[in-house]
Amino acid sequence: MIRSAFASFVITAVLLVLVVGIVLVPIALSLPDPLAVLDTFVFGPFRNPRHTGNIVEMATPAMMCGLAVAVMFRAGMFNLGVEGAFFLGGLATVATVLLVPLPAFAMAPVGILVGAVVGSSVCAVPGYLRARYEASELVSSLMLNFAALFIGLFVVNYFLRDPAAGAMVSFRIPAEAKLPKLIAGTRIHLGTLVALAACGLGAVYLFMSRAGFEARIVGSNPSFAAHLGLPIRSILLRSQVIGGLIAAGAGGIEMLGLYQRFSWQSLPGNGWTGVVVAILARDNPILLIPAALFLSYLQVGGDLIARNFDVPSEAVGLIQALVLVVVTAQAIMRNPRLIRLVTGKKPAAGQAQDTKAVEGSVA
Amino acid sequence: MTDRPLIAFAGISKTYGNGTLALDDVSFAIRPGVIHAVCGENGAGKSTLMKILFGLEQPTSGSILLDGEAVAIPSPRIAAEKGIGMVHQHFSLVPSLSVSENIVLGQEPRRGAFLDRVAARRRVEELSRRYNLAVDPDATVRTLSVAAQQKVEILKALSRDVRVLILDEPTAVLTPPETDELFDRLRDMRAAGLTILFISHKLREVRALASHVTVLRAGKLAGDAPLAAIDDEAIARLVMGQAAGPALKRGGRVSGTPRVVVSGVHLKARDANDRLEGIDLTVHAGEILGVAGVDGSGQRGLVSLLTGRAQPTTGAITYEGKPTAGLGTAALRRLGLAHLPADRFQDGGSKRMTLVENAIAGAHRLAAFSTGPFLKRRAMETRTEEMIVHYKVRCPGPNAPLSALSGGNAQKLIAAREFATEPHFMIADQPTRGIDVAAAAFLHERLAELAAKGGAVLLITADLDELLTLSDRIVILYAGRIVARLENEPGLTPERLGPYMLGLESAA
Repeated sequence: MIRSAFASFVITAVLLVLVVGIVLVPIALSLPDPLAVLDTFVFGPFRNPRHTGNIVEMATPAMMCGLAVAVMFRAGMFNLGVEGAFFLGGLATVATVLLVPLPAFAMAPVGILVGAVVGSSVCAVPGYLRARYEASELVSSLMLNFAALFIGLFVVNYFLRDPAAGAMVSFRIPAEAKLPKLIAGTRIHLGTLVALAACGLGAVYLFMSRAGFEARIVGSNPSFAAHLGLPIRSILLRSQVIGGLIAAGAGGIEMLGLYQRFSWQSLPGNGWTGVVVAILARDNPILLIPAALFLSYLQVGGDLIARNFDVPSEAVGLIQALVLVVVTAQAIMRNPRLIRLVTGKKPAAGQAQDTKAVEGSVA
Repeated sequence: MTDRPLIAFAGISKTYGNGTLALDDVSFAIRPGVIHAVCGENGAGKSTLMKILFGLEQPTSGSILLDGEAVAIPSPRIAAEKGIGMVHQHFSLVPSLSVSENIVLGQEPRRGAFLDRVAARRRVEELSRRYNLAVDPDATVRTLSVAAQQKVEILKALSRDVRVLILDEPTAVLTPPETDELFDRLRDMRAAGLTILFISHKLREVRALASHVTVLRAGKLAGDAPLAAIDDEAIARLVMGQAAGPALKRGGRVSGTPRVVVSGVHLKARDANDRLEGIDLTVHAGEILGVAGVDGSGQRGLVSLLTGRAQPTTGAITYEGKPTAGLGTAALRRLGLAHLPADRFQDGGSKRMTLVENAIAGAHRLAAFSTGPFLKRRAMETRTEEMIVHYKVRCPGPNAPLSALSGGNAQKLIAAREFATEPHFMIADQPTRGIDVAAAAFLHERLAELAAKGGAVLLITADLDELLTLSDRIVILYAGRIVARLENEPGLTPERLGPYMLGLESAA
């Protein structure tokens, strides 16, 4: 199974390279030294350890958000609360280390744990509404992201704001709370190892545990789950709480790993990246790792050419947009759940027609 | 009638991308103006061969001769141009459009840019008159019965000036009287000069309708003969590749204490076909109680009550004397319920999961398959391999997805899972619908064996032969009520059940 997932992963990656080429080559040709542009985009990220480090730093939250999405997608839940959970998780982590007096060694773990629990509400509430009232988790989680954003900004402004700083940012995160750096000359931090371990544990959960097995049964065929008598509602809720915890924990790790202050003024977008990564990795936790690294590599290459050449930053945005289209188009082609979501058709519709038809024959 | 064949298959082979050999050097001829039956088990290659003729699949080697000339049929459109029409087992109608719109779809008469409804209607009326297939051209397809929808499908195929009409298992969805009517119409069409290819695995129907039979087995041509020259037993032998087992004998079973008692149950459901109005029935230990009825007479409501997916509006169900009010599927399964669902891919399994996962699901929390929170994959696989051997599931391996299996093999795997719990009460809902003779016989044996060992079996089936073969007693549902209760005595025939099933008579 992992082999076939890997095959489609490779196909998608090749398509992405083609797409990037289609955008990048004409832009490069319009510049005096087209080869240098391509060279910078393709090889630039590896010339300087700092840039290579950027790839890993960027891939860290992408892996964890991707894992959160994959865990929920596997249970059939299109919960997009990862974005809000990531944001709120980061904020609650910073708030904890700033406001709660904690011994130095406990700051990071307690902060991230509190962040994970608080932030996971953005996934858990839509999950509960879905399990209890059949409210579309897609819609409610999408909406709740913005509620989380503005509640967060309110908290930053009234409780955490450093009046000495020129902008709406929090006080400095104490140095003792920061995650240790792993490699000198880069900003790669302990969170990367946590993310890698999380992906491994995610694979164990999904493919080797009873709970993950049940979640996959519900996700791949809810009628079958009902036939077996599985507790569908609690399985759905559980999957979304786990997803929320992972995404929100990732937000806390990001804050303590890379930031001096809480400085997000809008949703940071890591959750959306997680959706792309999960789709690219076919919801396979192990494949999340190369998928996140690959997307981050594209991002770093794009940033480098925008910085060093007269390339409009929109071109980099265009490349990213096309990447999104390619990845999601693949998903639409292969994923009946997404198609159903897009067409708004329920799986039982066909059956209902049959019975109506029979009604006619009896009458 | 000439002796020159209209269609000849010459050495057709088909290998799928995954290496499956679906057809292996099949050659036979179809004479014009006859009804030609093609028989075989599921997975024998019938459907593949018909798809090749209709342009949906391309042969790997070999050719099709039409009027003696080799032709290529790259698409259904080309097939239609050459006068070949097909009625699929699963209809391809648009439920929200009218009958006439459906029939002209793809070759609409136009007035300017718009559909010429009057011309479309006229064309449908003319077709319907010519072939004596009465349909209302203005009715919305969604509101039609299955039999009427099938007529629309047939008219749609005929509207393309066909010479050859392929019908894939057309009777699977019909009641006996509807089947008889369809057969009369098909005979009319033959009389009008049409050649009909009739795919079926019901020997009785083949005998009643066709004049020539071709049997496929495991992708090879197993036999090809005029029906006058071959007896049923010989056909069955060709289909199964061995002497058919002795007919299942009923009797010898002693029914014991009441195991499941349904008393005065009403069910209000949004769908009128699921409603129940005062059902009383008892399933005893050691018996098979057959439930007959036209699809949509309340069977689904009954099954959802007995499996705990719905609760009765009024009335009560007891299970070994204990009331089941408020118990869900999980609780009932713990009490010994097992269920072979009617729609095996919708409810019975998950197509995208592996055979191991499908076979062990439900039992995965047992100590045999898990330690703490973790699954024992090795034990699951070993158990599945045993099931595959014991239930003769033809499959690429235990880790193939369920979608790789034919309907019959998937059903055998699902049955293996459901029988594995040694159930006290088995609900078998259309257990052999659309599956081949050998697999059906195998499942019949399992059901009979379970009853003989003291299990209670509720058999819900539209296949009256199956009903009469297996049941000890029979109840007939019509519009949510039991209209007849019959002992299954040797003289009972499908014809006697028909009037009850259609609500024309009542004996309860």
